[in-house]
Amino acid sequence: MENAEKQKSEERVETPNLKGTLLSVLLLGVFIIVSWFGVFALFLSR
Amino acid sequence: MIATKLGISKSDSKLTMAFIYVAFISLFIGGLMGLLQTLVRSGSLSLPWGITYYQVLTVHGVILGLVLTTFFIIGFQYALMAKTVGISKKQRLYAWLSFIVMLIGTVMAAVMVLLGKASVLYTFYAPLQAHPIFYFGLALVIIGSWIACFVNFRQLYVWKKTHKDEKSPLLAFMVVINMVLWFIATLGVAAAVIVQFIPWSLGYAETINVLVSRTLFWYFGHPLVYFWLLPAYMAWYAIIPKIIGGKIFSDSLARLSFVLFLLFSIPVGFHHQLTEPGIDPTWKFIQVVLTFMVIIPSLMTAFSMFAMFEITGRRKGFRGLFGWFKHLPWKDVRFFAPMVGMLAFIPAGTGGIINASHQLNNVIHNTMWVTGHFHLTVATTVLLTFFGISYWLIPHLTGRKLTKKINNLGLIQTVIWAVGMTIMSGSMHISGLLGAPRRSAFSEYGGTAQASDWIGYQIAQAVGGTILFIGILLMVYIFLQLTFFAPKGQEEFPIAEEEVNAQPTPLFLENWKLWIGITIGLILFAYTIPFIDIILHAPTGSEPFAWPIGNS
Ligand SMILES: [Cu+2]
Repeated sequence: MENAEKQKSEERVETPNLKGTLLSVLLLGVFIIVSWFGVFALFLSR
Repeated sequence: MIATKLGISKSDSKLTMAFIYVAFISLFIGGLMGLLQTLVRSGSLSLPWGITYYQVLTVHGVILGLVLTTFFIIGFQYALMAKTVGISKKQRLYAWLSFIVMLIGTVMAAVMVLLGKASVLYTFYAPLQAHPIFYFGLALVIIGSWIACFVNFRQLYVWKKTHKDEKSPLLAFMVVINMVLWFIATLGVAAAVIVQFIPWSLGYAETINVLVSRTLFWYFGHPLVYFWLLPAYMAWYAIIPKIIGGKIFSDSLARLSFVLFLLFSIPVGFHHQLTEPGIDPTWKFIQVVLTFMVIIPSLMTAFSMFAMFEITGRRKGFRGLFGWFKHLPWKDVRFFAPMVGMLAFIPAGTGGIINASHQLNNVIHNTMWVTGHFHLTVATTVLLTFFGISYWLIPHLTGRKLTKKINNLGLIQTVIWAVGMTIMSGSMHISGLLGAPRRSAFSEYGGTAQASDWIGYQIAQAVGGTILFIGILLMVYIFLQLTFFAPKGQEEFPIAEEEVNAQPTPLFLENWKLWIGITIGLILFAYTIPFIDIILHAPTGSEPFAWPIGNS
């Protein structure tokens, strides 16, 4: 009983808010993809 | 059994400082050469006293790419190991031996380069031929670094014996991964130097197999960049959290990403040889796929850096989507310099993905884009992180304080570096896309229209290079302050801890036999067949070219 409660409270602490991280890594992904296709377009045009 | 005392003793300080002295002297000389190069390439300077552009270029590449990095890294790693697992008297003796052997090798190679007897650039591609002493010097540098490898392996091994059921300290684990990577990678370049270059430069062998030598070089050349990068990652994963008042995001994730770097950064050298005839395209493709595997630990690192910053910021009470970012300790240079380095890695890493893609590689191969690329990776991301480490490591070792004034100078230094590099590397990238070749002295290329497009960017590179050289002068001043003049005191050696309720790290992450086994397996898979192919279908070897550049 006590143990279960302890676990529960630990779980609550366990989930940090990472919304900013999610958006940051998405932006990073977009940057990589846009740059890659930019140079790829240059390759196709030459 | 007596456990070795942890922490940095006076003798440990001397050892690491010896390496750091060489690194900062190299920074000054190499930086000066870089300035000269950008000025020559802008068409505004011709070198006096018969010094050639390629001589200067070789000094720049060798002293910054090979000497500064290797000495700083090995010195830093000795400090990390002493701090986390300890060093015995005997191990320290061997550590000094590694320093002396590396230093002798460096001096031998440097003298030959300065005399113009080894203007072969830092890749020393055959059939350009240097004076034999240059190659002997390189061999000694490698052998010296191997001694360092085995000292570090031994340190962790001894610690493990007295800490049977504990996981090794994160930083010690990372150092050993980096040294395993280095040892396996340098076997290739050592083979090229000892078996091919030395007999050939001495005249015992008349010709050299060019493709074999280049393949062995790039077997080493790609992991080389990870050997530079991983010590920066050590600071990002395990030191920066402490500086910003946070905790390690995940010990397991950090170890797993280091393991993945070990696995996937060696069997990939062909991505530097995509335009090379004589290598089966299938195997180029396979190695490109393996190269792309390195993106996984790189993105894991990016994610865990953001997450570590956000968790720390939110715990301090900063709200909103990016409140945690705004309130990072931007005025603490121990954080600011490496952080700018991390941000530079966004375009740097992206450029790396572009370079490794075969079609895109055709657009940028051997152009200034590549030069721009590695000035972001090694000369910004890695170097600014090394500067960030120096701000606390040097005063910690010399028993001085990082004063407010030096801290602020460091902030200015970082900004100067960011501005100078944006201009220089930015214009290198653009002129590369416009076709400007790299590694070449100033030329109008017979007045062709295309070459006239490049000149504006070459002038921009000289402007950026000049700003960067001012940054180097400031950094050397800071180094001298921290070493000899800053007020006496104690500076913290920041090592971050895990969360109190962190999940335990799985034991298999420390299964060295498993990881080294897979590493060797992947290397054999990626290289055996194409390498046999290269040797069986080799054209006649090449006689040496010592002129117009090389050894003349
Ligand atoms: Cu590479």
